[in-house]
Amino acid sequence: MSQTPDELGQKIKEALGRQDPSSTAPKQAAEGKNAPSGTAQALRAGTDLVAALVVGGFLGYWIDRWLGTKPWGMIILFFLGFAAGFLNIYRSQTGQDYKIGFKETPKDKKE
Amino acid sequence: MLASPLEQFVIKPLIPLNIGGVDISFSQSALWMGIAVVLATLLMTVSVRGKALVPGRWQNISEMLYEFIFGMVNDNLGSESKKYFPFVFSVYMIVLMGNLLGMVPYSFTYTSHIIVTGALALGVFILATGVGIARHGLHFFSLFLPKGLPWVLAPLIVAIEVISYLSRPISLSVRLFANMVAGHTMLKVFAGFSVMLGIVLGILPMVINVALYGLEIMIAFIQAYVFAILTCIYLKDAIELH
Repeated sequence: MSQTPDELGQKIKEALGRQDPSSTAPKQAAEGKNAPSGTAQALRAGTDLVAALVVGGFLGYWIDRWLGTKPWGMIILFFLGFAAGFLNIYRSQTGQDYKIGFKETPKDKKE
Repeated sequence: MLASPLEQFVIKPLIPLNIGGVDISFSQSALWMGIAVVLATLLMTVSVRGKALVPGRWQNISEMLYEFIFGMVNDNLGSESKKYFPFVFSVYMIVLMGNLLGMVPYSFTYTSHIIVTGALALGVFILATGVGIARHGLHFFSLFLPKGLPWVLAPLIVAIEVISYLSRPISLSVRLFANMVAGHTMLKVFAGFSVMLGIVLGILPMVINVALYGLEIMIAFIQAYVFAILTCIYLKDAIELH
């Protein structure tokens, strides 16, 4: 593969940039944009709650149909779904996002 | 009489096709998906053909998109990012193109159908779960059991965690679909007001519609971004398995 001096120069610059992450423009731009905006968070919260409720209610309905335990499965799973929905919102608002379980990753401790 | 604001979401078959009793007609939804794929491919290939050191307009757009998503994947997945970047980028582009092409008058927004967003979200969900099981085996299911949990609480917490996990694809798909349907219905309703009020008073709803159009374009970007970042987070969960 033939390279013009210009191309080679750019590659060297890129490689140098990779070594020192603070000096690369793309990294900074990405970080700025990656902070979730208030609107994006607000749009997420509503569906997070409802989705868990729907899953809980649906699971309860089918467990009742399957085991003939009407209405207990749906009642119990509906409330569990409610709890899961609040868990979803709590996690997305405290920045833990959709983490399952409460174990911390080494990265979390750094932040 | 005025058309219903929901009429825009009706699927119209362009080429009727019926194989073995299954309706697989080529609809306008499929047409716009095809257009989105072709446009995204053209944008990412033709615009960088010049390989200019100082990028032109189009090359700048494709480089910005690339760097934006790569930065996001890199922040979440770190050293694994190169493996999953193509997937996340494809998901982002198909959602973004669907949302933005839907803003073109007379076009069709395929992301306004739950079957489309649901299939995308389910694909992400199955991939993330599959990656988790492939990398960690049965240990993957320890995800549902937080460390240091008293045994008395285990059945309750595990049930809540499982429901929370299963709700992911639903909230992912419903969020995108609901935002698109709500936005497009609202535009159509205000456009209907303009028609009803005539030329003089009809200006007012039109002014609102122009503002709404801007808002909708912002939502198109935000929703594509949210879809992509959640894909990253789900993959991160499956890979790291805290």
